Amino acid sequence: MSEMANTDPEGIDGVRMTWNVWPRTKVEASKCVIPLAACISPIRSHPDIPTLPYAPLRCKTCSAVLNPFARVDFTAKIWICPFCYQRNHFPPHYAAISETNLPGELYPQYTTLQYALPTDSAAPQSLPSPVFVFVLDTCMIEEEMEYVKSALKRALGLLPDNALVGFVSYGTQVQVHELGFSDLSKVYVFRGSKEISKDQVLEQLGLSVLGRRPGPIGVGGYQPKGVQMGIPNAGVNRFLLPASDCEYTLNTLLDELQTDQWPVPQGSRASRCTGVALSVAAGLLGACLPGTGARIVALVGGPCTEGPGAIVSKDMSDPVRSHKDLDKDAAPYFKKAIKFYENLAKQLVSQGHVLDLFASALDQVGVAEMKVAIERTGGLVVLAESFGHSVFKDSFKRVFEEGEQSLGLCFNGTLEINCSKDIKIQGVIGPCTSLEKKGPAVADTAIGEGNTTAWKMCGLDRSTCLTVFFDLSSSDQSNTPGTVNPQLYLQFLTSFQNPEGQMMLRVTTITRRWIDSSVSPEELVQGFDQETAAVVMARKTSLKMESEESFDATRWLDRGLIRLCSKFGDYRKDDPSSFTLNPCFSLFPQFMFNLRRSQFVQVFNNSPDETAYFRMLLNRENISNAAVMIQPSLISYSFNSLPQPALLDVASIAADRILLLDSYFSIVIFHGMTIAQWRNMGYQNQPEHQAFAQLLQAPHDDTQLIVRDRFPVPRLVVCDQHGSQARFLLAKLNPSATYNNAHEMAAGSDVIFTDDVSLQVFFEHLQRLAVQS
Amino acid sequence: MAALVRPTGAPRPNNSNTNAPPPPNYSPNNAQRDPDSLAGNMQNLNLNRQPSMPNSASRPSLIGQAPPFHSSAPPAGAPIAPPPFSRPGPPPAALARPAAPRSGSPQPTLSPATTPVRSTGPPVGQPLSFVSRPPPGSFPPVGGVAPASGPPPGPFHTSGLPSGPVSVPPPASGPRPGPGSFPLGNGQSMPPTTAPGRLMSNGPPVFGSGAMLGGPRFPPSGNAPQPPFGHPPTVATATGPPRTPTMHSMLGTPAVSAPPGPVQQAPPFSAVPPFSAAPPFSAAPPSMQAPPVSPYGSQTWPMQQGQSPRMFGMPPPPLPNQSMATISPAVGQTGSPLTGSSKIDPNQIPRPVPGSSVLIHETRQGNQANPPPPATSDYIVRDNGNCSPRYMRCTINQIPCTADLLTTSGMPLALLVEPFALPHPDEEPIQVVDFGESGPVRCSRCKGYINPFMKFIDQGRKFICNLCGFTDETPHDYHCNLGPDGRRRDADERPELCRGTVEFVASREYMVRDPMPAVYFFLIDVSMNAIQTGATAAACSAISQVIADLPEGPRTMVGVATFDATIHFYNLKRALQQPLMLIVPDVQDVYTPLETDVVVQLSECRQHLEQLLESIPTMFQNSKTAESAFGAAIKAAFLAMKSTGGKLLVFQSVLASTGIGALSAREAEGRANISSAEKEAHKLLQPADKTLKAMAIELAEFQVCVDLFITTQSYIDIASISVIPRTTGGQVYYYYPFSAVSDPAKLYNDLRWNVTRPQGFEGVMRVRCSQGIQVQEYHGSFCKRIPTDVDVPGIDSDKTIMVTLKHDDKLQDGSECGFQCALLYTTVYGQRRIRVTTLSLPCTSMLSNLFRAADLDTQFACFMKQAANEIPSSALLRVREQVTNLCISSLLSYRKFCATVSSSGQLILPEALKLLPLYTLALIKSTGLRSDGKIDERSFWINHVSSLSVPLAVPLVYPRMVAIHDLESKKEGDESPFPPVIPLSSEHVSDAGIYLLENGDDCLIYIGNSVDPGILQQLFGISSANELPTQFVLQQYDNPLSKKLNDVVNEIRRQRCSYLRLKLCRKGDPSGALFLSCLVEDQSPNGPSYVEFLVHVHRQIQMKMVS
Repeated sequence: MSEMANTDPEGIDGVRMTWNVWPRTKVEASKCVIPLAACISPIRSHPDIPTLPYAPLRCKTCSAVLNPFARVDFTAKIWICPFCYQRNHFPPHYAAISETNLPGELYPQYTTLQYALPTDSAAPQSLPSPVFVFVLDTCMIEEEMEYVKSALKRALGLLPDNALVGFVSYGTQVQVHELGFSDLSKVYVFRGSKEISKDQVLEQLGLSVLGRRPGPIGVGGYQPKGVQMGIPNAGVNRFLLPASDCEYTLNTLLDELQTDQWPVPQGSRASRCTGVALSVAAGLLGACLPGTGARIVALVGGPCTEGPGAIVSKDMSDPVRSHKDLDKDAAPYFKKAIKFYENLAKQLVSQGHVLDLFASALDQVGVAEMKVAIERTGGLVVLAESFGHSVFKDSFKRVFEEGEQSLGLCFNGTLEINCSKDIKIQGVIGPCTSLEKKGPAVADTAIGEGNTTAWKMCGLDRSTCLTVFFDLSSSDQSNTPGTVNPQLYLQFLTSFQNPEGQMMLRVTTITRRWIDSSVSPEELVQGFDQETAAVVMARKTSLKMESEESFDATRWLDRGLIRLCSKFGDYRKDDPSSFTLNPCFSLFPQFMFNLRRSQFVQVFNNSPDETAYFRMLLNRENISNAAVMIQPSLISYSFNSLPQPALLDVASIAADRILLLDSYFSIVIFHGMTIAQWRNMGYQNQPEHQAFAQLLQAPHDDTQLIVRDRFPVPRLVVCDQHGSQARFLLAKLNPSATYNNAHEMAAGSDVIFTDDVSLQVFFEHLQRLAVQS
Repeated sequence: MAALVRPTGAPRPNNSNTNAPPPPNYSPNNAQRDPDSLAGNMQNLNLNRQPSMPNSASRPSLIGQAPPFHSSAPPAGAPIAPPPFSRPGPPPAALARPAAPRSGSPQPTLSPATTPVRSTGPPVGQPLSFVSRPPPGSFPPVGGVAPASGPPPGPFHTSGLPSGPVSVPPPASGPRPGPGSFPLGNGQSMPPTTAPGRLMSNGPPVFGSGAMLGGPRFPPSGNAPQPPFGHPPTVATATGPPRTPTMHSMLGTPAVSAPPGPVQQAPPFSAVPPFSAAPPFSAAPPSMQAPPVSPYGSQTWPMQQGQSPRMFGMPPPPLPNQSMATISPAVGQTGSPLTGSSKIDPNQIPRPVPGSSVLIHETRQGNQANPPPPATSDYIVRDNGNCSPRYMRCTINQIPCTADLLTTSGMPLALLVEPFALPHPDEEPIQVVDFGESGPVRCSRCKGYINPFMKFIDQGRKFICNLCGFTDETPHDYHCNLGPDGRRRDADERPELCRGTVEFVASREYMVRDPMPAVYFFLIDVSMNAIQTGATAAACSAISQVIADLPEGPRTMVGVATFDATIHFYNLKRALQQPLMLIVPDVQDVYTPLETDVVVQLSECRQHLEQLLESIPTMFQNSKTAESAFGAAIKAAFLAMKSTGGKLLVFQSVLASTGIGALSAREAEGRANISSAEKEAHKLLQPADKTLKAMAIELAEFQVCVDLFITTQSYIDIASISVIPRTTGGQVYYYYPFSAVSDPAKLYNDLRWNVTRPQGFEGVMRVRCSQGIQVQEYHGSFCKRIPTDVDVPGIDSDKTIMVTLKHDDKLQDGSECGFQCALLYTTVYGQRRIRVTTLSLPCTSMLSNLFRAADLDTQFACFMKQAANEIPSSALLRVREQVTNLCISSLLSYRKFCATVSSSGQLILPEALKLLPLYTLALIKSTGLRSDGKIDERSFWINHVSSLSVPLAVPLVYPRMVAIHDLESKKEGDESPFPPVIPLSSEHVSDAGIYLLENGDDCLIYIGNSVDPGILQQLFGISSANELPTQFVLQQYDNPLSKKLNDVVNEIRRQRCSYLRLKLCRKGDPSGALFLSCLVEDQSPNGPSYVEFLVHVHRQIQMKMVS
């Protein structure tokens, strides 16, 4: 990591592209193998981004926002839109504009800036409060229940006072707690086995606008503040109360909350209606004004077995579906559940609300099915083994923390993309939903969320990252009369509601150069971003694996890599030994090698839940983090040198070293045999061996640094060489030494028991295939 | 009353039957101890004040009907002995006292339970002449009671008249406050045989009434009688004495009064002595009229009858055995009905006369079935083979041998079965027999249970089933040798071989699961209307108080839910700091919100429950939810208690408007469309749709019994919702229009009785008959899944099931036909029992026997239930016609085949059925058959009637009316609170009087326009009739009159097992009209006057005779 720390490859714009110069034609582009794609972090914070307190000027034809690349005629008070060349008059209040008096949006360095949009005529304190509806599974053992309760209580303490809180618990049935009822604890109970529509939920909670029946509001109950809060339906404040008002109630409620009381027969899974619980929560939020920022925070302790969204039967002898089952179409619940969550996602997106999932269970809970709802709403997801585990505990806390560590959770994001003529948008991979906004820039083929130039991101945060795939129009560019602009422009408009409730619009306008790759391939090569390319390939592969049946990812990746090497390598035909790659490509094959071995492609070692989880994070994290997921970083600590990156190879293991492996989801601290022995003998506690103590401590300190910024908090594995936990490291290393060639190895190193090919073998094959005519 | 002693004890009578400790509860004695206390309690009840004590007190008394009887009993005695009484002259005071004498001593032998309690002895009665009498040991229970009875005994003995049972008042010092006691005692001592004939002798009932007319009105009559009687026992002797006097006076006067009658033949009705041969009891019936009837002074009947024939020179009865009443021939002869009718003296037509003395009824005598006393009389049963008539009685006490004979008679053949009927406290409790794991001995073919009529043969090695005739091997361990008389030697030690009613402990094979716990689930309407009318508060308060009366023990579970447009359950689990409200909002498709914890052991949640009930009314105070998901709420509650079954008590205030089983305001729709309303009026009395019926069947299947407490002020469609209680063995209580002032006390008392009365859960009942007869159909509150069985999730002492019978073969004349009702049920304490009730009746091929053995009360109950059945499906006119025709056809048959000798101008009524026309008329004018009633009231009536017991059937349509403005005028020493009963005719209602009229449910107090303000002040605390409150709560003021009124009301409550809905009626008001509509003998838009009706019946008979 350290080597990356000082570089900011994304810059102020937060945009990284696979190709930083673009081939002119579609044909050329397709020859480049790696698709034209941009990874954008729409609201990544950066100290240099200014915020303007007014609304932006928009082009009257394409509604692109005024930006530094617009040509301005100061005398005529006219600006020319770089996207459509429309001439726009400046409005009167821009009258003072001149070459020396530029508005912020025309400063050349401010290719990215933010507008704080004035809220419609309302007083500043009327900013909508964020809404949190906690959905708590109660089908778990007491111990877990205690963990999750204490986590919840802590979270409640961290919520801003004005945040509205709702609480839903569920097991066999769903219980919506009416927090505003003072006489006694009151819950609405919904059956877990029956699908329930939003209207029904509202109707049954007494919230439906038509013929709604105001429920009994206790004397001295909570005073309706609905209107100020942007909640049209005053009834809903029976269920959603400001955190400051209901913290006590909720704490009491949590104290009394029991695990699900419905009996579970021997040999059966608990009956758990996650699906209905989520739709009830979503329905409840439906009573809020559309556009109110709201999250459903689901805390799930096991698979849904009851009602819609069930992923497995209650019979224990029926295992939860595996990848194999999915492949063989032997998962009877899978498709139905997906369908259900798709609908839920639609509903949530239309309401602009987010679904967060915190799942803690030893078995699967159905993340694979729920993925669609989480991803499309931009929700957070954390998968842990126990609610007592730090992966859950610390991550959960992070969600509600403010300040430096805050995730900067924002609501109601919308991304719009404007681009130069001839550029088409195929779609986006990442936590968003297509708004189906058609336009000339929409490509014929879709990748991910496509068929649109605008996307909804109900929830987004500082690290949210989207991958936009571009295509070029097939029409011949040379037809275009007049000046051929050598630059292409892309503009990303992201509007969102920040944590304080303020509506913001961030505008990022970037420009890149067109080149004729047939004329100057070197320039193209220079514009290649291998890290981004690797990540984009990983994301595209994941998508294809999910959406295309019997898609052979390894083959597809291999073919692509071979084609790429054939196109951009230097070699003599049919002479593998002559093969060399430009440095701009040199890391890429290794990325591909690790991608092929990663959990994203080799899914069979993981459960579908884990795979879904990994992929969701892969899709939403920035390039650096995503790259680590594909190709972990390894740092070695030893007496004789500073900590230094080590080869991701089994050869890096040595008895007198400590290795720190960061594979994003887990961090492994691996003590060499000798180190472990010393430590076990307690040398680190002896004053004369302080250096050893420091050596032992160093990886832990670095771990803290990594963990601090990461969400979800990675799982930390501390292990010793030859220990059982060492597998977490070994699985990620290049098997250059296996039992096949163990005899060649030096003492103190290790071997990996695998038949997988090593990087070296992989390269050999690659060279051979790349140079084949 | 008893309760006073032990408030908690009030408990469930039923158990007492079955369980060991029964008697204490009943003991009427307590009443004696503190006669006033009860009244006081009642008073309290009214005010709805005192929680446990008072209530408990009042209820228990209800159970033991005894008290009422006692009071009435003495009088009964009196009538019997004509000579002494006949003279208006006051009998010696001494006579009156006699009651006291009861050799208190005898009691010891008696049922321990009763006697012990009452040590104080009869406060009232004085041991005069009777002291000497040895109370027969055999009649143990009786003795203690009767203080009051004093007077009667004397006379009887001397006269040597009638039936032992009736006359003798052996004063048991003991338990029974009242008269009840003596009858028994006497029974033995007296020679029953001779007297009966005479007694029975048909006096024209008319006279009784006549007396009243001609002679002094009530006040006088009342006075006159009293002296003779001396002090009646604490309880209500009053009725008795006054009556007797009247009678006497009548006798004297009749001559006088009769003449005035238009016709030459003075007495319009002549009665021939019924059966000369008849056993003592036969005579008794009339005289015995029990509680319900008692007010009417049944005794008058017999006396007059006996005399009347002679006096009036009526033609002697054609046959000695026949009894009949004739109607003045004039009518018939002249052929002009009008004139005829006008000539009938309304005072001389048959009217019920209250019997006042308790009599002892042996179910079999001389190895023959003994016809039971009238259901409405006060009697004590000695079960010596046949079951007590309380449990099962037949419309005819002899069974016609052929279907033709039955058809000819025009009478119905049906059994009315009331397995949990309240026994008289002095009766021996039902004995429990435990056969161990093998279960009770049964016939292997028809599965009939062992009973006294199974004949053991072959040295006891085999037995012949009296039901199917099959010969079975006696189980080895049940074998016993036969004695010389052919009976098993152990027959008298084994209850199942010598008792008509026994209870067997059910063995494993009778259980499909463990006996269910006693589950009580309360479902309370909290919709806006319910809250605002105070219905919710009343319900909560009633429940809260009643919790203390639920059976103790770990098997008692409770649950509470409320509902408006949604259903709210409450988690009462102790672990929670406060109850948790769980709302089920989906009322189209309901479910239970928790598997456990919604229904919790009472001991675990008592505090929570009380707290919750207290807060419910305020919790929903501001509710604006007008809708009610009644059906859904029931379904949801059902789901919560599905695993166990139990009682679901629903308090409902508004029409179910949403969710499953939602109903529409059909009534209003009907009104809007008048033409169709007229035509289809009865459709509104049918359930709106099948949803609730289907739900009810499901409820029944899972042993959930639903009781509905309807506290409403508007239409609620009882026709639809009553299906649920009716199918599940529940009951409907109807408080309309609900008043937060006057109804809560009744609501509480009803609820309390509901949970404390004798009852059983998850019952299955079947009636088996001897070969030749089979069950045609069962009617009542239960679920019918298979035709042979009746499934009753809940059954209690207020439920009667009618079993119609039909012939499938000829019966042997002289043989006996057996009926056996077996009810398998679970007690509230979780024991599985089989209550087996066996009745064996002689078969006859003589029509006259049938008429002699006709049981009027039972037949009438039968007619009434059949009419109620018909109402929803036929036009009203048709039903009325049918009812009239039923009456006419049996009278016609009698006239045609049994009274052929008499002149065609006479309306001759069989003695046993002489009141049939009056009751029929009353039925036609009843709420159910009136066209002007509200739909819901009619539906309620129909539903009420369907499970009504025999003793309450007659009073429902022919209420009892008494004057209360002159209560005080009774002589001192007469402590019976009960004033004489007045015929239901406006002639007897004076503008200066205040009258109380009650039918077992409602109690109307009618206040004339020129009542003495002083009396108003004393009774109601107001100075003029204009200040009458519309919502009335009976209060006791500090004056004797008020106290007496309270005594009277409490007495009625005890007798009826009902708290009564009191309503003040004033002349000129709608309320006054309501009162007047109850005077069934008057002519009204709903039907002819009694006299006119008799004429109509007579003409019909004449016409049919001719044709």
